Amino acid sequence: MGQNQTNLLQGTLDLLILKAIGDGEMHGLGISRRIEQITRGTFQVKPGSLFPALHRMEEAGWLASFWGESENNRRAKYYRRTKAGARQVGIETKQWTTIAEAMASALEA
Amino acid sequence: MRVLSWMKAGVRNLFHREQAETELDAEVRAWVDTVAEERIAAGMTPAEARRTALAEFGGTEQVKQRVRDTRAGTGVQTVWQDVRFALRMLRKSPGFTTVVVLTLALGIGANTAIFSLVNAVLLQSIPVRHPEELVVLRWSAHKWPESPGMASFGDCKMRGGVAEASACSLPYATFQEMADRRDEFADATAFAGPAELDVAGNGQATIAHGELVSGSYFETLGVPAAVGRTLAAADDHPGAAAVAVLDYGYWQSAFGGSPAVVGRTIRLNNVVFTIAGVADREFTRLTPGKPADLYMTLTQEKALGLRWGGDQDAGWWLTVVGRLGPGVKRTQAEAAVNPMFRNAVLHGAKPAWKAGDDPRLMLIPAQKGLMGFRGFLSEPLRLLMLAVGMVLLIACANVAGLMLARSTSREREMAVRLALGASRRRVIQQVLTESMLLSLAGAALGSLVAYGGASVLAAFTSANWYQPLEIDVRPDAHVLLFTIGVALVTGIGFGLAPALRGARTRAAAEFSRGTTGGVPLTTHAGRRRWPGLGSALVVAQVALSIVMLTGAGLLLRTLGKLRSVDAGFDTRNILLLWIDPTLAGYDKARVLDLYDNLQRRLAALPGVVSASYSSGALLDGDMWTQDVKVEGQTSKQTEELQMLRVGPRYFETMRMPVMRGRSLGAADVRGGPLTAVVNQAFVRKFLEGRDPIGLHFGSDDKKAPQWAIVGVARDAKYDSLTDEDAPTAYVPLAEGGAAFALRTAVAPSALIPAVRKTMRDLDENVPVMRVQTQSETIDRLLFNQRLLARLLGVFAGLGLGLACIGLYGLLSYEVTRRTREIGVRSALGAQRRNVLGLFLRRGLLMVVLGSALGLASAAMVTRLLASMLYGVRALDPVTFVVVPVFLAVIGLVACFLPASRAMRVDPAVALRYE
Repeated sequence: MGQNQTNLLQGTLDLLILKAIGDGEMHGLGISRRIEQITRGTFQVKPGSLFPALHRMEEAGWLASFWGESENNRRAKYYRRTKAGARQVGIETKQWTTIAEAMASALEA
Repeated sequence: MRVLSWMKAGVRNLFHREQAETELDAEVRAWVDTVAEERIAAGMTPAEARRTALAEFGGTEQVKQRVRDTRAGTGVQTVWQDVRFALRMLRKSPGFTTVVVLTLALGIGANTAIFSLVNAVLLQSIPVRHPEELVVLRWSAHKWPESPGMASFGDCKMRGGVAEASACSLPYATFQEMADRRDEFADATAFAGPAELDVAGNGQATIAHGELVSGSYFETLGVPAAVGRTLAAADDHPGAAAVAVLDYGYWQSAFGGSPAVVGRTIRLNNVVFTIAGVADREFTRLTPGKPADLYMTLTQEKALGLRWGGDQDAGWWLTVVGRLGPGVKRTQAEAAVNPMFRNAVLHGAKPAWKAGDDPRLMLIPAQKGLMGFRGFLSEPLRLLMLAVGMVLLIACANVAGLMLARSTSREREMAVRLALGASRRRVIQQVLTESMLLSLAGAALGSLVAYGGASVLAAFTSANWYQPLEIDVRPDAHVLLFTIGVALVTGIGFGLAPALRGARTRAAAEFSRGTTGGVPLTTHAGRRRWPGLGSALVVAQVALSIVMLTGAGLLLRTLGKLRSVDAGFDTRNILLLWIDPTLAGYDKARVLDLYDNLQRRLAALPGVVSASYSSGALLDGDMWTQDVKVEGQTSKQTEELQMLRVGPRYFETMRMPVMRGRSLGAADVRGGPLTAVVNQAFVRKFLEGRDPIGLHFGSDDKKAPQWAIVGVARDAKYDSLTDEDAPTAYVPLAEGGAAFALRTAVAPSALIPAVRKTMRDLDENVPVMRVQTQSETIDRLLFNQRLLARLLGVFAGLGLGLACIGLYGLLSYEVTRRTREIGVRSALGAQRRNVLGLFLRRGLLMVVLGSALGLASAAMVTRLLASMLYGVRALDPVTFVVVPVFLAVIGLVACFLPASRAMRVDPAVALRYE
């Protein structure tokens, strides 16, 4: 299954991260596990892809970060969605739905 | 918003890098620690938990590097980092850096120098307001017009083919019609010249170049006055006061830049002119290569004694330039003016063409249409651009070879970088940064070389032109962009191979070679690749050098042949002096007295063997021809005859033997029956060898002068050295200006001051137009060949030097790299000469391959030179044999040095080397 991460389109990874975080606050490991969970194990995002994406999205203003305490009392970097990030979810969901519907109808034809 | 946040992040990354790094580190560590703790809680040993957590993470350093690579501002940051690192690396090997920068400075400098000249001659725009709006009028038809006289002053190219004729010269009437067309033209001007004018009333009489222009000239061009005023329409009316406007440069040199010149009077060809003002400093010329010292209105033509417009001003002698009206397209204006033009030339009082000749008027952008000396220089300049392009290629190949050798010794460094998570792109970027720095340093140094070189070239060109030229080779935006462009392309050119090679380094293979840094005895596959590429680079350098050497060789042989051409007279030790007393108001009788006098005085100067004069000098690019009929000639048509008016003792002075009959003496010049001396070609061509003495020739019109032949002189070259001997007649000079010729017993140039003084003592109102030796006039005819031969020679030498250094460097490197191998071979009984032969063979193979490739390319390229060659074919066997032999000898020396070092390798030392 790990192979699939190479097939992740960049836009898809961004959308998955934004979705995984939702309205909460999460650290990197948490986001990775949440993605695996919500995609029913289809996507396992490795740090090599996740970290660059998180930093890029933060610089783009979609995510904000802060340092906090983790469940086991560790200092960890937490991410949450910004307003721009929330808007981005809308934009990317629409794009993705269009593609998905188009693919579905193409495959049914 | 997105951009703003990205910029904020960029600033943080650039200036608070440490913090960003610490945070990234903590974030990565938190992940691994958390996973490890979970595993320990699940029952794993701490060590095992940590190991698996790290392994799953996938290399902390690589992940961090990937994050860094995506960060905002990374580009700027890494470039800065690369630049600093590259500077450090280059400082560490000053020898390498110096050699590379010097090589590139020569390569780029040569290109910039030639481009500066190309820019000055071919590209610089006309220094007037909005030059792109100016158009020059050019007619075109199936044949020449039936015009009462066509004069051209070299502003435009004239074309007179069988099916198509075309030129810019137009009659005054056409200019007037154009100037009145306000729908198409905002303004228009007509001009002709320059004329050589006798300037008096400003110290000793001198010669200046005066352009005749319409009153609208300066207004049309948008050239303001620096001092006083420029010409106005009112100055161009018949009967208007004679005024002149000075060129800024001439004002500086002849009048010391004094503002008091305005209102002063000077005499031009004995006519009093008032100086109205000085033209703007920026305005140096309209047509490239045709500067003028003074500007007068067209109406002064007759007063100045010029007869350019012919009778009733019907001659076609004006170049017309118009400024298109606002928003008017060139094609649109062209369509609008053509009906009027056709009507005038087909149905005027004296039709110039029939309708079937299809006369048309074209509006050509002035920048393109006004050719001037561009027509003469564009071909040699294009060839020179090609040559310097080759020099740059050689320099690139040379530096690429050095970089490759260096990159091999830096393979471990590359391996370490790759292992530590540098992407291959980053490694390439790093190496390219180094090449760029080298290349830009080379360009900076090269620009200095270029400016000096271009100035020398400009001076050489100016000195060989008919009048001094201002060729502005100061670097401008074009030149700057060109140099930077060349530097960037060069940097990529020589840096790409080593960069790709660095990126291809296989880390594992590199480390497996051990830590001693020694080179393994058996060269594995990866190692063989660069000697292959290195050799190819050397072969390319040799080949390019051969091409240039061949070109230079062909031109040198051409020059040799041209210089040994028998001109038919003794061209050495002749000093020429041009004067025109008619400009100073001499009438016919006084002219002859003056010439008589001057001839006697010049002949009496110490060091002068004899003196004479003629209407023009031989081999000076000037010629007079006339259509004549010869008494007793076989054909019915008139024949073209070259003619020259000469004074007494001309044949004796020129050492042009008179084979039959007699030469011309004082009595022939002073009236009486018209006599002539013809050359052998005349007798051969018109009279088929019959005795010409006593026969007559002259214009078809029997009332026109008919000359009686009194002698036959040996054939001599007149127009050019390369033309076949054509029928020529020497007739007595009875009027007009003259070129005095002095046969000297000493170096002719040593007599220049004495000759000038003699003329001054005789009459200081008669200015000396030009003083030159006969060798100098011949040199000017050979300008293109001399320019190209010299420069190609220099560039070929440069290329050859670089190629030899490349060859030497490659072999030296090979010897060093294979020291152990040589040691083993020697220990196993290889003879020294076997070792020597090993390397000599390798070097010579490259030379032979390069020569073969070079000769094949040369065979194709030398065709471009064909128009400049004389007496040698483009595939001249001598050149094509001598050049490769010459190169082989030099190549052998370059190979021998490293090969003999290989021979001296001591096996015991070599094997202990590790």
